[in-house]
This record gives sequence, structure tokens and C-alpha cells, in this order.
Amino acid sequence: MDSVHDLGGRQGFGPIDTKESDEPFHAPWEARLLGIARAMARPADWTIDRFRFVRESMDPIDYLTRRYYDQWLQTYAALMIDSGVATVAELASGKSAGKPQGIAPPMSADAVAKAKRGMARFDRPSEAAPKFAPGDAVVTLRNGAPGHTRLPQYARGRTGRVEHHHGAHVLPDRNIDGSGHAEALYTVSFAATELWPDAVGRNDRVYLDLWESYLARA
Amino acid sequence: MAHDDPHRFEDIHHDLHEHLPSEPALRVKALESLLLEKGMLDPAAVDAWIAVYTEEIGPKRGATVVAKAWLDPAFRQRLLADGTAAISELGFEGWAGAHFRVVENTPAIHNMVVCTLCSCYPHAVLGIPPNWYKSAAYRARAVRDPRGVLAEFGETVPDAVAIRVWDSTSELRYMVLPERPAGTEGWSEDELAALVTRNAMIGTERTLKPAGDGRR
Repeated sequence: MDSVHDLGGRQGFGPIDTKESDEPFHAPWEARLLGIARAMARPADWTIDRFRFVRESMDPIDYLTRRYYDQWLQTYAALMIDSGVATVAELASGKSAGKPQGIAPPMSADAVAKAKRGMARFDRPSEAAPKFAPGDAVVTLRNGAPGHTRLPQYARGRTGRVEHHHGAHVLPDRNIDGSGHAEALYTVSFAATELWPDAVGRNDRVYLDLWESYLARA
Repeated sequence: MAHDDPHRFEDIHHDLHEHLPSEPALRVKALESLLLEKGMLDPAAVDAWIAVYTEEIGPKRGATVVAKAWLDPAFRQRLLADGTAAISELGFEGWAGAHFRVVENTPAIHNMVVCTLCSCYPHAVLGIPPNWYKSAAYRARAVRDPRGVLAEFGETVPDAVAIRVWDSTSELRYMVLPERPAGTEGWSEDELAALVTRNAMIGTERTLKPAGDGRR
């Protein structure tokens, strides 16, 4: 969807806090929420793409003003409600009105040692021949795509160059509910001057990973 | 309602905004209590994950990868060809590591990594991202004004050096292989790893310095 999460190139956000301290968490609740996110039991049909779609569906003001792990919290809460495993009243009070059905038991502390080395793969076998090859000039969809697209607004309707073909990867647009549909994924590079009015004279490039349906031959 | 309908979650978010406790710490406490009562969470596993990302998995892993690549040309080649296989040799498999790519700085090229749409990061080798990496300012500016961003981090990149910004829009995750600083000939892997900063592996720092507390 086209909300404020699509931040690339937006102006007015001011300087970056380059002096931040090095510790991974800046408050105990942040560490707690990260741990909950890694450890909690969940319905089998939650996907990373659904998580992102729900986070991006947040009120734009909340998205821009709430701390990162607080956004995660509200995302998990919304996912639980949508899946029917909790109500707003339960999430507000912390008191359960009943146990959900059909959810596997939660991860134990002993299981973390194995889970921390786990890697979910997103590439899939595919018989389809890729439409593009490295070196090809491609143009991106001018209007993006409805739903959960990963084509940022700043790179729509722009001409770039295919750098790599990565085989077929799960298409986020169709994976909110876990379809697993896969499509050829490419790294496409764009000259900074193709993207930004203020890049004149710069030899810089921006590289994005884009799925085949976002692209046409230029 | 279609699964990807942009309005599907609006009412839920609105209700949560209205009814959850006012402070983030209280919201997290309520969520944890609820998950516990529902049998969906083991608090000991939460503690274990916090320990993993506080004590074990962080940028020191990435620094080890970089130092090895500087010392061992065959490892460097494997790392650039297949990042996931190379970090697996070191036992660094983990979260968001399945499609790991390393991009190499040279005298003519500087690489910088961002995720403009969310905050994708190579957790398996760099751990938990800094807040600035997740901030609106960095996500907005890195693709448009990389030289201005680098200047804020104290780096002036000459015009002759081309900047490549990697916007992590898929499940591929990127890390920068910085250039080995001059004056470090004969240094051990540990001494070299101590020079490598997290920011250099994200690409907001370019010039690593052999002076200072790298070699003791």
C-alpha cells in the first residue's frame, strides 16, 4: 500500500542521530518485545509479508512518531485480533478470556539454541524462464501495484539496468496470507540522475531488488 | 475483503490506538501477561532471546567476517560469490541470513545499505540495528542524499568515488566489505577485526583507522 512507510527520497526529516550509543536496546521494554516477537506461538498462516503489511497499515502519524518496537507491538496485537486469537479488551488488560485453538505450543528456552541458527528461505524452484538478463534496460511500473508492493514510489516509471537474476523468490504482493507464489527476482540499478533532481553531475547509483511483474523491457 | 485491501487493518489499528495502555512499557507488559495466560509464550525463551542479541549476535560477527576476508583471498572470493555459504562456514547462520550478499568497497566505489520501506538488516551478522538505521531520516535520505548522510557521519567522499546505495526491498540482505586500511600489514585477525565498525559494514563510514585503540 502507499503510506508513509515508503520513505525513500522524502525531505524534511532533518539530521540523523549519529551519536547514538552502541547497546542494542535503549529500554528494557524494547528488549522484552524483541524477545516476545522471537519466542511467541503464532498461527501457521502468519508471514513476514503479512507482518510488514499490517505494520504499514498503521495510522501514518503513529508510524512516524512511535518508537520502532512499539510499532512492532501494535503490529503483533493487530495480527492477533485479525486471526481471532485475542481481543482489544484482552490486549488492553493483559487478562485472557480464553485460550485459542489450533496453535502449536510456544518455543521453550532450550529451543532457542537451535532457533537462533534457523534461516527461512524465500527462493523457490521455478520452471519459468526469466524474462530479463543482466545488462537489459528495464522500466518499472509507472503506477506501482495495488496491495503489498515492494516497488517504492521513488523508483516507479524509471529506467534502470538489470544487474543480477536471483531465481524465483516469493512475491510479497501475494504472500500476505501465505500463497507462496514465486516470481523471478532481479537486482536493478538506477542512475541517481534518473531518480533525483538534485543528483546532477553525480555518478552514483541506487540498487533495488525488484520482481519481474514490476518490470517491462525499456 | 481482499487480503491485501489497504483498509483491512485500519479499524483494528484505530481500536488499539484508543484502548491500549498509554505507555509502551505498559503495553508490552500487558501483551506478555496475555500471551502467558493464553499459553502462547514461555518467558524463559524471551530471556534467552534477549541474551542472544545482547551478548552473542552482534557486529563482532560481521567484523570477524571482514577480517577473514582481508586475510584470506579464497574466503573473500567465496564471501562475495555466496555470502550465506561463507557465513555458514563460521557458524554465523541465523535470522535473515538465508539470502546474504556482501558488496565490496574499492578505491573507486563506496557502498551503503538502507531499507526505505521497512528496516531490513542482516541480523545474523550484525545483530540488532541501531535506531538511526530504522529512523525516518536515514530511510528517507540514504537513497537521495548519500553524500550528505556520509558527511553527517564524518565522511567526505570525493566526487570521483561512485556511491552505490543498496535499498533492501526483498529478502536479500546486504553488508558492506570495507577496504582494509593501510598500515595494517602483518596484523592478526583479532587485531584487524577490532578496527571494523558496525557503521563501516552498513556503509555510513568509509575510512577505517589503524591508529588509536585497534592494536594494543
